[in-house]
Amino acid sequence: MAQTEQNTEQTGTSTDEIIIATDVRKWFGDFQALRGISTVVRRGEVVVIVGPSGSGKSTFIRTINRLERHDEGRIIVDGIEMTDDIRNISQIRSEIGIVFQSFNLFPHLTVLQNLTLAPRNVRHWNRAKSEEKARQLLDRVGIPEQADKFPAQLSGGQQQRVAIARALAMEPRIMLFDEPTSALDPEMIKEVLDVMKELATSGMTIVAVSHEIGFAREVGDRVLFFDEGVIVEEAEPERFFNDPQHDRTKLFLSQIL
Amino acid sequence: MSDRGPVSERGLGAREDVDLLLATQEGVVVESAPKAEPQTPMEWMRQNLFSGWVNALITLASAAFVVFVFYQAARFLLVSAEWEIVRRFLRGYMVGSFPVEELWRVWTCVFLVGALAGLSAGSSRNRLPWPARRIVFGLVVLALAVAFLIFAVKTPLVWGLITAVAVEIIVFRQIGLTLGYQRLRRPLLWGWALSFPVVIIIVRFIGDGVAPRFWEGFFFNIIAATVGIFASFPIGILLALGRRSSLPAVRFFCVGFIEIFRGVPLVAWLVFSKYVVDLLLPPQVDLPDIIKALVAMTLFSSAYIAEIVRGGLQGIDRGQYEAGRALGLSTPRLLGLVILPQALRSTIPAMISHFISLFKDTSLFTAIDVTELLSAARRSSNALEFQGHSMETLLFASLIFWIVAFSMARWSQRLELRLGIGER
Ligand SMILES: Nc1ncnc2c1ncn2[C@@H]1O[C@H](COP(=O)(O)OP(=O)(O)OP(=O)(O)O)[C@@H](O)[C@H]1O
Ligand SMILES: [Mg+2]
Repeated sequence: MAQTEQNTEQTGTSTDEIIIATDVRKWFGDFQALRGISTVVRRGEVVVIVGPSGSGKSTFIRTINRLERHDEGRIIVDGIEMTDDIRNISQIRSEIGIVFQSFNLFPHLTVLQNLTLAPRNVRHWNRAKSEEKARQLLDRVGIPEQADKFPAQLSGGQQQRVAIARALAMEPRIMLFDEPTSALDPEMIKEVLDVMKELATSGMTIVAVSHEIGFAREVGDRVLFFDEGVIVEEAEPERFFNDPQHDRTKLFLSQIL
Repeated sequence: MSDRGPVSERGLGAREDVDLLLATQEGVVVESAPKAEPQTPMEWMRQNLFSGWVNALITLASAAFVVFVFYQAARFLLVSAEWEIVRRFLRGYMVGSFPVEELWRVWTCVFLVGALAGLSAGSSRNRLPWPARRIVFGLVVLALAVAFLIFAVKTPLVWGLITAVAVEIIVFRQIGLTLGYQRLRRPLLWGWALSFPVVIIIVRFIGDGVAPRFWEGFFFNIIAATVGIFASFPIGILLALGRRSSLPAVRFFCVGFIEIFRGVPLVAWLVFSKYVVDLLLPPQVDLPDIIKALVAMTLFSSAYIAEIVRGGLQGIDRGQYEAGRALGLSTPRLLGLVILPQALRSTIPAMISHFISLFKDTSLFTAIDVTELLSAARRSSNALEFQGHSMETLLFASLIFWIVAFSMARWSQRLELRLGIGER
């Protein structure tokens, strides 16, 4: 506990530890989804979370930008603790991008408008600046020609790339991914993973729930294995996949490999 | 970018598959029971209308019934009806006892709205093509309207004004066409939004103005419906949002408000309003009864709108809220920019349907002695020389209500078409 206290004191942009979770617990009614999660993510690190269904992966990742509030423990993101009385919750959320399994694009807006909505209304950029940024990002994710279409007119892979671009448009310091490829047809998974890899190598801090082993091995710095609301095993990818220590990890890997 | 094509292309592919399927099925049918290829109307009739003696009997009976109804209707409309009564009381139907020397106010409003309507029609983004059937229908309607005007309008001044409005609409439609949707979208939005306050200022506040108790006839129905629609829309949305609030007090208030106003007949509210509104306002404020009743109608309508909007909100995926919040949007922005635009879009049919019934319900103001169109029509048939001709006046009043209601329904269809673009 004393150690955590120190961490909070030291906060400031200089510190290297951008996400500090300490003994995070969360209940849904009587059911405990998180049973004490502690981990530290460093700036520029790529952390991949794996684990069986219902193990609390989504719940944990969503507590990081407070889409879900945790009941016990502490989460400190970029020096700011996530508590009920955060007045500038919007401010903090706009520093953290999140990409969902089901895209969640705004269907009534064009691709370009999806990308400029938050920059214009949260960052208060003018139209020219936000559109320029949006077009840059569409270029970066490889779909510059789709700017004026509506989400429903795009393929799943294209929609997910728009969702990534929409999150990046806010110039976040951290990107969260919650199974970004598991709703996609196999031939579209690669195009999304390519974008994520490019993002990882560009130095972005990433926490991704994903069972794409290739992604984890290629760009991951660390793998967390969740089961029943706790981190059972934590290791860098090569060791995690080649030489798992725990029986539950072995069992899980034997099922997905 | 080795993507599959956009959904629309894939959709086409799928439809081709279905066509193929149908084609093969048809092929089978053709093999087993070949159909007579060319079909004359006579053959079609024999196959479909006179295939057996029961069928033939039913066909003949229904035909006889339709002919009989048409004959009776035509005989009444063209022979026995006394349309003179409509001609005599036309001004009463339109504006009631609105002072004649103040009618310029009403005409100014008509010109104002005419200009806006012309511009809107011209700049409308999805101009539907005019197939032959529609052109014929349009010409028939136009001919009937002109015939009616020739019959009913007495003074050259009114003729001049009507012609001027028609010309105005055509001219502004052309202007709308040349300027186009993009340039006119914003000005038109403002124009329509400001038109109502401007109308009220012209009628009530320029010079001495005309007091609300003289707002009568069809003019009253239009004003009342406009107030009801535009005032209850935002209130209804707030109530719907309040009903989902996390604060129990707010939720309780909204649910109570909605259930109380929805559960009592509108007529009762109109009559109550005289006393109820006084309880809520300080005694110095002395509103005319009509205004109080308009307040009551607005609250009544907003309870319905709240329920319509609630339905729309229920259709919005939780992911939309999460995506908006995750981007840092504040609650008002999240609702205004992400949630409501989607929720309201899906409620257009129900919303317009409610507005149409609200428009027709303005005839209930007769309960607080407002001589609106329907009561003006009924009263006119009390005149001695027109005893027993209430059918004509009611028909005429109904026709006017129907024309407005029908136009609103058509407009709703166009709106759905236009806003449907980005959906799903
Ligand atoms: N809003 C909620 N209300 C009640 N229970 C919930 C809620 N969200 C999650 N849970 C429960 O919490 C547990 C953890 O859920 P979570 O979504 O975090 O799992 P997950 O590891 O992401 O699983 P998956 O791989 O299926 O996405 C599950 O048992 C789930 O049923
Ligand atoms: Mg999950």
